[in-house]
Amino acid sequence: MSAHHPDDMSLMNYAAGSCSIPESLVIAMHLCFCHDCRQHVKNLNHLGGALLETIKPASIDDDAFETLVASLESHDHNANAEVKMNPIPAERAPCNFINPLLRYLPTSLADLPWQRQTKEISKFDLTSLINIKGFQVALQKIKAGAKVPKHTHRGLEYTVILSGGFSDELGVYHEGDFIARDATHRHSPTALQNEDCICLTVLSAPLKFTGWHRVFNPFISWR
Amino acid sequence: MTTKKALSMNDSTAATDAPEWGALLARVAEHDDKAAFRAIYQHFAPRIKAYAINQGFSQHAEVLVQEVMTNVWRNADKYTESLASVSTWIFTITRNQRIDLLRKLNRSRAEIVIETEDLWQIPTEDTTIFSIQNLSTEKFVQAAVDKLPEEQMIALRKVYYEGKTHEEVAEELNIPLGTVKGRLRLSLQKLRVMFEAKEI
Repeated sequence: MSAHHPDDMSLMNYAAGSCSIPESLVIAMHLCFCHDCRQHVKNLNHLGGALLETIKPASIDDDAFETLVASLESHDHNANAEVKMNPIPAERAPCNFINPLLRYLPTSLADLPWQRQTKEISKFDLTSLINIKGFQVALQKIKAGAKVPKHTHRGLEYTVILSGGFSDELGVYHEGDFIARDATHRHSPTALQNEDCICLTVLSAPLKFTGWHRVFNPFISWR
Repeated sequence: MTTKKALSMNDSTAATDAPEWGALLARVAEHDDKAAFRAIYQHFAPRIKAYAINQGFSQHAEVLVQEVMTNVWRNADKYTESLASVSTWIFTITRNQRIDLLRKLNRSRAEIVIETEDLWQIPTEDTTIFSIQNLSTEKFVQAAVDKLPEEQMIALRKVYYEGKTHEEVAEELNIPLGTVKGRLRLSLQKLRVMFEAKEI
């Protein structure tokens, strides 16, 4: 079970549906791993239900229900199956929460056409999934024991570890852990020795390498 | 017509005991029962509309109501009583439809490929042993909410339900930003403590 979680405010914003789409992706990914956070989100959803019950109702036009039923009937006649919700793939995690990327990855993690960044770090870019200006979404693979050059972030960096783990100046992180870093953090993650580390990362602005690596800054691939 | 039946059912919502929403939803799922659907509509549609207005939808508030209720009609068979109460289930649908509607209105739908449903999943299968506790948890959540001091509840409601930023809440209530953050933090802490005490 993961030891690093989104804070309560983030989980509440997620349950309320008021966090950004990229942020919701990393939280949803963390939920795949974390029973405690799933449970807490479930409670916060109940909070949403409770608030819906206690809200002061607005007035609805008298004929709104009839209009709705009429449109349902004509739709049901015409395009019955088509308008149903997308079927959820049968592959279902035992936790009843599906890897949110499952439908969008061409292969399993191991077989992805990883794009080599350095000898030890490769990347599979997912920015096109969430094409919001200023956000970069990617899977990162760091070879066992390898070190990512020291960097800071111009904005926020969210990471969820999908397999393996890494350590940095602030701690050691394992599968399922959720890590949020802002511009004040400068870190150089090192993958744990025993296996490659695969993470989902969401950046709200490009990385900024510090130290001599800063020469790379203009070349950081950034859509 | 079945209208009469539906109306009498709706009347019972005025009493403190809520009708058996789960049973009504089951009738919608199994028999396309319009009277049952009407009862659900009459209770929830005005609340969904109020939520939409609070969230800043004006002319699209009705659109959200129609989208949510269409979804309820079509997916009634996916509702699992042991996973959530009907109001929680409808809340999660409302939240997701709100996000979808925003994506549509912002024309970001084409740019964002990943589906809202993958990001905000609504469980449809009961696979955890813990979910047996859900219904009692829900009542408990309501009781927990009632125990929060009013000033915390107001801040929480504005952020959770009206989608306001902390800055907006501070301005509306005419209190410092730090106080808003403090109240929110305290309310979330209290809720967590109460939730966890219940789970053990």
